Amino acid sequence: MIAVDRRSLQHFDWPLLALVLAILAIGLVNLFSTTQPLPPPEIGVASEFKTQLVALALGTAGMIFAIVVDYRRLERGAPLLYVLALAGIAATVLFGVEIRGNKSWLRLGPLSVQPAEFAKLGLVVMLARYFHRHPPGEMRRLLDLIAPALLLLLPVGLIALQHDTGVAVLTLAIGATFFLFVALPWRTWALLVAIAVSGMVGTWEFGLKPYQRARVMAFVNSGSGDSLGSDYQAIQSRIAVGSGGLTGQGWLEGPQNRGQFLPTQHSDFAFSVLAEEWGFAGGATLLALYAGLLLWGLAIAANSKDGFGGMLAVGVVSMLLWPAALNVAMVLGLAPVIGVPLPLVSYGGSQLLANLVALGLLMNVSMRRYVF
Amino acid sequence: MAHLAAPTGASLESRVRWLAALVLLIFGGFVVRLFHLQVVEGEALRQRSQKNSVRHVDLDAPRGEVLDREGRVLATWRPSRALRVIPNDLANRARTFAALGQLLGTSGAELDALAGPSKGLARFRPVTLVEDLDWERLARVESHGYALPGIETFEQPRRFYPSGTLAAHLLGTLGEIQASQLAKPQFAGYRPGDVVGQTGLEARYEAHLRGTLGRRDVVVDAAGREIEELREHPPAVGGRLVLALDKDLQEAAEAGFRDVPEGEPQRMGGAVALDVRTGDVLALASYPTYDPNVFSSRIDRGTWSALTGDEWKPLRDRVIQNHYPPGSTHKAVMAAAALQEGVIDLNTRVYCPGYYYFGGRRFQCWKKEGHGSVNVIEALQRSCDVFFYTVGVQLGIDRIAKQASSFGLGAPTGIDLPGEVGGVVPSSEWKLRRFHEKWYPGETVSASIGQSYNLYTPLQLAVAYAAIANGGHVMKPRVVLRLEDRDGKTIRNFPPEQRGISTVSPANLAIVREGMTAVVESAGGTGGRARVPGVRVAGKTGTVQVVGLERLRGIPEEQIPIRFRDHAWFGAFAPADAPEIAVAVFVEHGLHGSSSAAPIAQRILAKYLQKRGLSPVPPAPAQPPPHPAAPLAPVQHAGGSPAGDAAAPRVAARAARP
Repeated sequence: MIAVDRRSLQHFDWPLLALVLAILAIGLVNLFSTTQPLPPPEIGVASEFKTQLVALALGTAGMIFAIVVDYRRLERGAPLLYVLALAGIAATVLFGVEIRGNKSWLRLGPLSVQPAEFAKLGLVVMLARYFHRHPPGEMRRLLDLIAPALLLLLPVGLIALQHDTGVAVLTLAIGATFFLFVALPWRTWALLVAIAVSGMVGTWEFGLKPYQRARVMAFVNSGSGDSLGSDYQAIQSRIAVGSGGLTGQGWLEGPQNRGQFLPTQHSDFAFSVLAEEWGFAGGATLLALYAGLLLWGLAIAANSKDGFGGMLAVGVVSMLLWPAALNVAMVLGLAPVIGVPLPLVSYGGSQLLANLVALGLLMNVSMRRYVF
Repeated sequence: MAHLAAPTGASLESRVRWLAALVLLIFGGFVVRLFHLQVVEGEALRQRSQKNSVRHVDLDAPRGEVLDREGRVLATWRPSRALRVIPNDLANRARTFAALGQLLGTSGAELDALAGPSKGLARFRPVTLVEDLDWERLARVESHGYALPGIETFEQPRRFYPSGTLAAHLLGTLGEIQASQLAKPQFAGYRPGDVVGQTGLEARYEAHLRGTLGRRDVVVDAAGREIEELREHPPAVGGRLVLALDKDLQEAAEAGFRDVPEGEPQRMGGAVALDVRTGDVLALASYPTYDPNVFSSRIDRGTWSALTGDEWKPLRDRVIQNHYPPGSTHKAVMAAAALQEGVIDLNTRVYCPGYYYFGGRRFQCWKKEGHGSVNVIEALQRSCDVFFYTVGVQLGIDRIAKQASSFGLGAPTGIDLPGEVGGVVPSSEWKLRRFHEKWYPGETVSASIGQSYNLYTPLQLAVAYAAIANGGHVMKPRVVLRLEDRDGKTIRNFPPEQRGISTVSPANLAIVREGMTAVVESAGGTGGRARVPGVRVAGKTGTVQVVGLERLRGIPEEQIPIRFRDHAWFGAFAPADAPEIAVAVFVEHGLHGSSSAAPIAQRILAKYLQKRGLSPVPPAPAQPPPHPAAPLAPVQHAGGSPAGDAAAPRVAARAARP
């Protein structure tokens, strides 16, 4: 049913839309600076910026579609989406293009897409459906978790095969969020934690590439002063953030940004540039908007009229929360350098498109909270 | 959510609350961290950001000018562009150097070897690859600059000597600063690779000439490419040096060595001209010479080894860094000493039979048939050895030494140039100290004609002759008249300095001057080739044996290998009656003072006297004019030894000269 009744429209979640638009606007303004193709003081429009505008247009369309379709129809289509997601990742493993060591891209004519970004969406919808049908509050045995765990680990394992550690970890975190709602006794939780720890150790030993291990070690040993070694990105990012001060160096004026001292400043280190050019004022504003968006999303989850909607809202929130948390923590030197973009702000079409569709679903759940 | 009382509802809501708390915790933590980084640590990190992206580039300062006494430029600077590499910024080292080699027409591998390591701290230090790029190669490199990251050209002012070899030894050389120099306090603030004065005035006045480094602060990106200029302090040219030198006289002196008559070997030696009243160094030439311009940039190995390995050592300043036995030029000093000590007076006559016996040994006069009865004037005029053997023995070595030393001989003159050597005025005390041996009276005989242990630099002889000319004032040679700042404002004047006064009275010096005038101006004098039209010139010839004559017996003079030929001296001053300029000329292996050294002195004196308006300027300067008053005295070629003064040998074996 693609109709939107008046009642739903009346309940359209304007504050949520405003939050999203504000974050998007900050992201675009920042992206214009981070992608400057010309040496200062000249200013130009980079091709990446135009690509991002196209992705934004597509994402808006996707978001509108996600708002318009009644999310309850989605529950039925979830398995199909899930299978499509798996197929996309599998295709990437088989036919993917390698960019900067990660085989995460699939070429579709003129477009390069990252199926893993869309896979998160498929996973969230699928897990929301599963936990709607098997309310987590009733799960008390470890055995109950086997089926959803398999649903989660299948795509995560496939993504890990692409050597995209960051996305694999994030996908795991997003899916695992659902499991927080399971009513397991504490002993079972302890067992899960033990399994998780041994899994992390195993990943460290066998799952990480040497440069990734070096980055983690660099983080642990940070401050050793080797600004040209593995610590480089972390230190440059910290310098960029710190030199922003209270009010920043000014838009298009950040020396760390314009001097390209920051690695991948338009994607993974977009927040560094924002902090450098707009200072604490700009950085804190974005963080506040983000927190507002996430809390608003959680409120929608709590207020949703059915389990599926609630679970879907939780999934969408976690889709934004974990990448954002990991990215900002990395930029601020609180986490090792992992290639994770900041949703809605960093450069990246697939990420933007997938997240806008997800936010569309969140609005969908929000506006239909009174519909029966 | 009252309508959702399902078991999931309560659980969902409470877990969502936990999740919301987590979100607040995470983002609250982020804000705190952000505040800490940006506000608490902000200033320190901002400074690191500046250091990160701002590069300080030193700008070399042009060296100050060196002018002659009439303001003519002897040394200045010109702009040039050089090429350097910052190894750290090379994108693809092998390919970049291959391309660069192609653009410059040189071997890329050679450039690569020059560039230094791509590892370690050294990779950040720019290395100059090519200096003074010509226009064509510069254009080629600049137009491909975008494809050569890490390679850049930069402005490099270069020392320029517009007159090439002129006054090369006086001006000195530049060279890259050495590690041993960097450690010295006077080179505080210099960096490795800096070019500094290494010899001559360039070294002596390094601090004045150097100028002030400029500095550019530029913003660079992570690849080291210049993005924007923040500020530039332009470099300031160094101070100016105004010399006592007269460029015309310097040219005359060098031309005297350079313009060798057809068939004669290249002349080597030194010439110096002093103003007898002030000690001004009007000319200071050393031959063979070199072009100091080759030192103003990195000198190539070939040129360097050619200059340093040359048998005749063109880099040596023969006027101040070499000393030689004075030969008969010493007789002027002997005459003064004998007159002053009362051993002779103007009427004392000595009979010269052509030889002299002392201690059972026969000492030859250069003129086998003898000079007959001569007084001091005639003895000087004809350079009679026997006369000076006789008065020398009467004087004794220590009185000779005392008087000679009072003219400043045998010791550094204090000239304002680095590397001046002393010399030797032998005495009994000196010999005891030097050889732990007593002085034998027989040695005094050779010493009387300057063929003993005596060693003087041409400059010392010039100072001594200037003292004879000016009534006994031993002047410190003055090279620099004043230091000026870059705008021509005088910073410091160097007044003339008298270092001492001769113990010989002005009256006795007047007698010596009379004898020396006869050397040049009278028929039968040995120095006729030094005559200048319209002015009376005084002088003294000298010849110094290089090897024992028996080794050269029977060999025609022209066939003696150059390095075995005698040295030639000529010392002079003019005008003889009111002297203004004194000249000393030394020609290594020049055979005879009269024939090779006197003409060089003549050219310098003539130029000076013409400029003073005392001597008419000849219509055709290429031809030396005949003396208007007296025709050139016939040069004696007896035994191929025209004005030979070298009969008395340092060793007995040399005594027998044919």
